[in-house]
Amino acid sequence: MNRTVLIVGSAITIALVAVLFLGLGKDPTAINSPLVGKPAPPFALTSLGGQRFDIRQLRGKPVIVNFWATWCVPCYQEHPVLVENARTIGGDVQFLGVVFNDSEDKINAFLRERGSAYPTLLDQQGKTAIEYGVGGVPETFFINRRGVIVAKFVGPMTTEILQSNLSKALQ
Amino acid sequence: MIFLFFLLVALAPPQGRPLSGTALEQRTQEVSSLLRCPVCQGMSVADSPSTVALDMKHQVRDMLARGYTQEQILAYFVQSYGQFVLLKPENRLIWILPILILIAGAIVVVTTARKLSPPAG
Amino acid sequence: MTAALGRFLILASVFVCAAGSMIGFAAGKKRSLDGLQMARRFAYGFAVLMILATGVMEFALLTHDFSVGYVAQVGSREVPTWVTIVSLWSSLEGSILFWGLVLGLYIAGATWLTRSQHVDYMPYAIGTWLGCATFFSFLIAGPANPFVSVPAAPDGPGPNPLLQNHMLMIIHPPFLYLGYVGMTIPFGFACAALLRGRLGHSFLRPLRASLMLPWIFLTIAIMLGGWWAYEVLGWGGYWAWDPVENASLLPWLTATAALHSAVVMERRGVLKGWTVTLVQASFLLTILGTFMTRSGVFNSVHSFTQSSIGPAILVFLAAALVFSVVLLALRVDSLESEGKLESPISREGMFLVNNLFFVLLTFTILIGTIFPLAVEAFNGKQMSVGRPYFDSMVVPVGTALLFLIGVGPALPWGRTTRQQAIRSLLLPFTSGVAVALIGFAAGARNPWTLVTLLFGGYAAWVTFVEMSRGGPRVLRRGRRRIGAYIVHAGAVIVFVAIAVSSTMRTSTEVRLKPNRQSTIARFAVTSKGKAVTTLEPRMNQYAAMREPIGTPDVHSTLTHDLYLSIMNIDPGNQTVSVMMLITPMVSWIWIAVLMMGVGGVVALVPRRQRVVRQALQEDIVPA
Repeated sequence: MNRTVLIVGSAITIALVAVLFLGLGKDPTAINSPLVGKPAPPFALTSLGGQRFDIRQLRGKPVIVNFWATWCVPCYQEHPVLVENARTIGGDVQFLGVVFNDSEDKINAFLRERGSAYPTLLDQQGKTAIEYGVGGVPETFFINRRGVIVAKFVGPMTTEILQSNLSKALQ
Repeated sequence: MIFLFFLLVALAPPQGRPLSGTALEQRTQEVSSLLRCPVCQGMSVADSPSTVALDMKHQVRDMLARGYTQEQILAYFVQSYGQFVLLKPENRLIWILPILILIAGAIVVVTTARKLSPPAG
Repeated sequence: MTAALGRFLILASVFVCAAGSMIGFAAGKKRSLDGLQMARRFAYGFAVLMILATGVMEFALLTHDFSVGYVAQVGSREVPTWVTIVSLWSSLEGSILFWGLVLGLYIAGATWLTRSQHVDYMPYAIGTWLGCATFFSFLIAGPANPFVSVPAAPDGPGPNPLLQNHMLMIIHPPFLYLGYVGMTIPFGFACAALLRGRLGHSFLRPLRASLMLPWIFLTIAIMLGGWWAYEVLGWGGYWAWDPVENASLLPWLTATAALHSAVVMERRGVLKGWTVTLVQASFLLTILGTFMTRSGVFNSVHSFTQSSIGPAILVFLAAALVFSVVLLALRVDSLESEGKLESPISREGMFLVNNLFFVLLTFTILIGTIFPLAVEAFNGKQMSVGRPYFDSMVVPVGTALLFLIGVGPALPWGRTTRQQAIRSLLLPFTSGVAVALIGFAAGARNPWTLVTLLFGGYAAWVTFVEMSRGGPRVLRRGRRRIGAYIVHAGAVIVFVAIAVSSTMRTSTEVRLKPNRQSTIARFAVTSKGKAVTTLEPRMNQYAAMREPIGTPDVHSTLTHDLYLSIMNIDPGNQTVSVMMLITPMVSWIWIAVLMMGVGGVVALVPRRQRVVRQALQEDIVPA
């Protein structure tokens, strides 16, 4: 019996298998945002209509910021969900769409065809998207009344996901 | 461009000197090769053709042109993307471990060579 | 009906392997020749069942039998016949069946080639092989069953479009499987030596030959993977230190180390336990690599098939690790050294240093690959380990290895006198200096590139001198040595080509309006004075993907590659950004790796016939 071999071999075996076991079932593409629980990065952007929106002026009201683009396929899926929810609860919650890397004509055409119920802001060269750590679109941030990000969701939005995350923002 | 300015105020003032021309392009390439493209699979911002990566590269160029240092720029991206965005990890352990293995291995090789060689003299 | 036949064959295979494995181990313990004969029959039985099962699957694919689960998943009446044939390995279930086929052929081949030799070791070897085969049969029978019966559909979706996208995608997987699966054979031999408690001189040959063959396939497979990434992914590089790329490199590194330590073992009768450990590690790392590719735990461009077989592979990996470690701890001391090293400053001393560096590389790459997983499991924080880390860690060690390619063969076996040392170092170094100066004149300024050129020139000189030593006689008698030096020469070229291509490329990005698209080619070409070629980089948008996928176009020559890749299309401004790269020496990487493969074949092939005769004489001493 060679003790050195046994000890070194066992250490490698246990470490390797333990790490791989704990990694099982994890989605490697899911990235946790370090911004959750932190104050929302401030931004002031111009909407399609030419109006300026400064997020700091929206304190006191929960805000849902949805990053999207017309070249993103899942954005087509989630758009009706967002519009419908904005129509029903838009009085209590501020919805904001932030479009990055897109042309105004395409956005206008998209919204004309599919309806809109909240301001759509233009984020030239994705500066705001980077501040928010956006990877792929769509991504949606839920900000509470004090301006703190309480949740981030990646992927097409559904009413259930929206409601459950919004309840965190309303607390 | 005013809003852009106040976004960057959140960071400390630039600590380097503003770059331009080919130096700027070269540094942009260097710094963005240290950043991970968040939608790609392990590719760097410098290499990826994806939209987000292009935006991030643009932001890097912008900050370099304003005189931000590499450390400041990386810290800026870590703020919004987390440590995940750094392709060259800050974690000390991962840099030390291979060196420890080298030292341990060298000791093993030397002792093995001694053990297998006939005694001197 | 077809599906049921397939399921029956696989189930039969599970039983044949399990029974054969037990018979093998029992025969080893009892030293029973009848038991060995029986175990051999089970080994052939496994191969036959795998050939039949694969035949059934190919039949189902070619007849478009959509009642077979796998056919319904990847088959299509629309695709050409050759795509239908190769779609066997286009998706998870089929590729595991293909794995089983390759394993069956390997085991049968190894059993046949050792049919009248090594009777001491063979029962244990066959037992170990069939033990592994039991697991893979179980995988095909259960978690990754391609023969599920499904309601027959009129047509199927066809294989993954990536498979049809590029020729390399079709030939890369078989080479990788031939490399990965083949490591099972030396693993069986190594375990047999440990179980028997000795490793005789004659048993070295099957051990080394069985390691050399998968090493050749793995070498080519790694190159094909890099080539595919270069031709398809569009960022202009061939190696991104992606987890799956690392997974294919890890067993290659340990196998290369083992091939070297085996030489010392043969010459001096030392390092037996160590060589056996490296052989075991190579096999275990192929299983780890399979886990990395198939579990979906790692984020990679190459793992296009993610699945639920991760836990099963992890259990097998854990079992194989425990088996190997316990066996090694119990028996490694019985493989006692027969010989001695004369002096550390000798060729065998350099082999030790070589092994140190290869193991260091293996650990570094392994740590870099799984470290993010460990950190996330430990504190929930996500992190990345990417190219900058691997480059800064691997480049110095790689450069040191290149130096060893030179200094190792330059030193004599045994003991080195001062004079010999000076002669072996100084003279070839002039060639290194010359190469480095040529590089400098050609514009190389990166210090690592210059060091690589210096050591490369040095190693090339030594390799050439060693190769030509002995004259034409060598071609008949020392083919293994010649093969090794061909591999070394290839490796030297690979080192230089990697250093040059990664530090000396020029990159330009141009933004073009659609009507001026034709000027891309002309722009690239004006520097040469005449039209060289027309390149058509593309960008495809797939419905299922969030971002469009670009496909670059490459014009390769021996000196440099011209590489065009679309970076992005701006629909707003109606412009296209095109990245243009001129990279020197890329083609040499592919050529030189092929050369390494050829060297491996030269070292492997003529050896075998002689082995049979010699080993026959040495080994007819049944216990």
